[in-house]
Amino acid sequence: MPALLEIRGLSAGLRGRRSVTPVVSDVDLDVQAGEILGVVGESGCGKSTLAAAIMRLLVPPQVLQSGSMNFRLADGSYDLAQLPARELRQLRWRQLSYIPQGSMNSLNPVLRVERQMTDTLLQHGLTKAEAHKRSVAALELVNLEPKILESYPHELSGGMRQRVIIAAAVSMRPALIVADELTTALDVVTQRQILQELAAIRDELGATIILITHDMGVVAQIADRVAVMYAGKIAELGTVNGIFEAPLHPYSQGLIGSIPRESGQRVEGLPGEAPSPWKYPGGCRFHPRCPEVFAPCNERIPALLPQKPERRVACHLYDAEVAADA
Amino acid sequence: MTADSSSVALTNEQQTAERREVFQYVLRRFGVYLFTLWAAITVAFFIFRLVPGDPMNILLGNITRAEGRQRDAAEQEVIIARYRKIFGVDDPLPLQYVNYLRKAILGGLDLGPSFVEYPAQTKDLVFRRMPWTIGIFTTSVLLAWLVGTGLGALIGWLQRSRLSQLAVVISTLLQITPVYLVALGLIIYVGYTWRILPAGGPYARHLQPEWTWEFISSLLTHAILPMLSNMIVIGAGFTLGMRALMISVLGEDYLTFARAKGLSPYTVLKDYAFRNALIPQVTALAIIVGATLNGTFIIEVLFQLPGLGTLFVQAMGLRDFNTMQAVVLFSIFAVLTLTLIVDLALPLLDPRVRRTA
Ligand SMILES: Nc1ncnc2c1ncn2[C@@H]1O[C@H](COP(=O)(O)OP(=O)(O)O)[C@@H](O)[C@H]1O
Ligand code: SF4
Ligand SMILES: [Mg+2]
Repeated sequence: MPALLEIRGLSAGLRGRRSVTPVVSDVDLDVQAGEILGVVGESGCGKSTLAAAIMRLLVPPQVLQSGSMNFRLADGSYDLAQLPARELRQLRWRQLSYIPQGSMNSLNPVLRVERQMTDTLLQHGLTKAEAHKRSVAALELVNLEPKILESYPHELSGGMRQRVIIAAAVSMRPALIVADELTTALDVVTQRQILQELAAIRDELGATIILITHDMGVVAQIADRVAVMYAGKIAELGTVNGIFEAPLHPYSQGLIGSIPRESGQRVEGLPGEAPSPWKYPGGCRFHPRCPEVFAPCNERIPALLPQKPERRVACHLYDAEVAADA
Repeated sequence: MTADSSSVALTNEQQTAERREVFQYVLRRFGVYLFTLWAAITVAFFIFRLVPGDPMNILLGNITRAEGRQRDAAEQEVIIARYRKIFGVDDPLPLQYVNYLRKAILGGLDLGPSFVEYPAQTKDLVFRRMPWTIGIFTTSVLLAWLVGTGLGALIGWLQRSRLSQLAVVISTLLQITPVYLVALGLIIYVGYTWRILPAGGPYARHLQPEWTWEFISSLLTHAILPMLSNMIVIGAGFTLGMRALMISVLGEDYLTFARAKGLSPYTVLKDYAFRNALIPQVTALAIIVGATLNGTFIIEVLFQLPGLGTLFVQAMGLRDFNTMQAVVLFSIFAVLTLTLIVDLALPLLDPRVRRTA
């Protein structure tokens, strides 16, 4: 089955005075209809940049450098990277929704919730009554009562605001939802509830979700597949079960090893720090921190190659050709 | 999971408490207003009396010059004594002060006689001059605010375009130019060199105030340059202020979200960016009003308009305390009242203030 979203060679960076510093480099990613795809990586590895690139919401100095993003819908296929602004606007919210990082501040403080939920619906051609009905229905999906529509954002708790954003994002029943650090600012209990609500929404609406997080625990909880990102590139891609059982990439192994399992039990994290875009190393970007580093790693860039079924890894360890050379 | 949503509903008790809070806020704000008014009058009262020069001697000098003959010392003494009594400057300062306040408050704004146009009452003098100042000042400040807010919103929205960067440079230059330089520039070039518009006096000399088209059009054309002087400088300030507000709002998360929702650029601009930047811009109006009234006084003098500014300058020359005080009193009253109105109106614009007020 063809993927709902097919990302090929996507690169985005920061425009400086002379050159563009790459932040996300050459990302290939297929998002299957109906799945929850986790994108996980340390903070600063370019997850939000990737999300904004998919949403075409990069703001200068951020720039989309190259790549294609084929978005397949029933009525045809759109390359999000090339789509003119007007058509993009038509697609947004109807088919493509965004839950931005820091959604706590994503509501306009001087407009009531109702206005902010319905203005888009009205612009997409719904009547006032329909828009109201849909908003109420969407709020129900995240267990909020209709009277919340009367409130201003500052009257709501953080968890409620996050739920309002989710409700707004799903109110048009979009095909794809990109959710960036959905639960980061919330307490553990609220976090769990919201993730459950999101999973329920996926089941009920049949939406596809790209769930971006730095938290392996969140991925383990609700994602079907996961893309592990390191320094702007995808290191490993596979099913959640597969990767948690047998991570192949040394970085995935480190990430999974550093999940705190039981309370109080300290686990060793990854040594060193994730590089900022201005300091991405050559060759395999992980090589300065890699415990398995060997000869070609600081020169050759590993390609994201298929390994066993449903798994892709970008590491020379698993590249027969490179291993033969070394 | 719905437990925390119950906090949205306000119980009756909460509503009553809220209303009481609002009432207290209004009361407190009004108290501050009255206190400031009183303090300003008091300071003005004593400061003006510290200015060297006895108003009686100056007045006498003027009378002498007008009559063209010198009086002998005894006659002078008599005249001065009479005037001193009329103006009540014989009493000790504290008593003068108390009398002044008493008459002003209980005597129906009796601010004493003026020296400038004796025996006219200071109050009448101020009321006669006030329309000029109010007309020029409020019209130009409001126009400047409207134009500056619109322009600032636009160049903030288009922050990266060349034209908008040029507009910023021009506004900055205009904003730092003193208002009298702009006024003089307009008088010299537009008024005298190119002779496009009249640059002095309230209306053409040969006309009388009456409801004729000729008089009204003369009045309006004479008002253009004075108002323009004020508008250019204040408007540039409002433009820069609004631009800064817009740019900071444009960086907010809720703006990204608004764009992600697929709203048209116009809706994003109107409901998310402009609306939010407008709230502090309204507050700026109140602040600017206070800071620019003196600019209007200078403009009146430069353009020879019979407003409060020129009255103040005349009164200053005579050490006419009563008139000087009245002008200050009026200015402070106007500024404070405007600020009060804006302060009380802000909760209507900004739901966040409603609760915290
Ligand atoms: N607008 C920007 N200005 C400067 N640096 C940026 C900007 N956007 C992203 N970056 C940098 O790019 C890197 C990746 O950022 P981001 O995509 O937000 O990472 P993540 O979401 O994984 O934490 C970070 O080092 C960040 O500092
Ligand atoms: S390519 Fe080399 S440095 Fe990179 S992860 Fe594999 S072993 Fe480590
Ligand atoms: Mg991020």
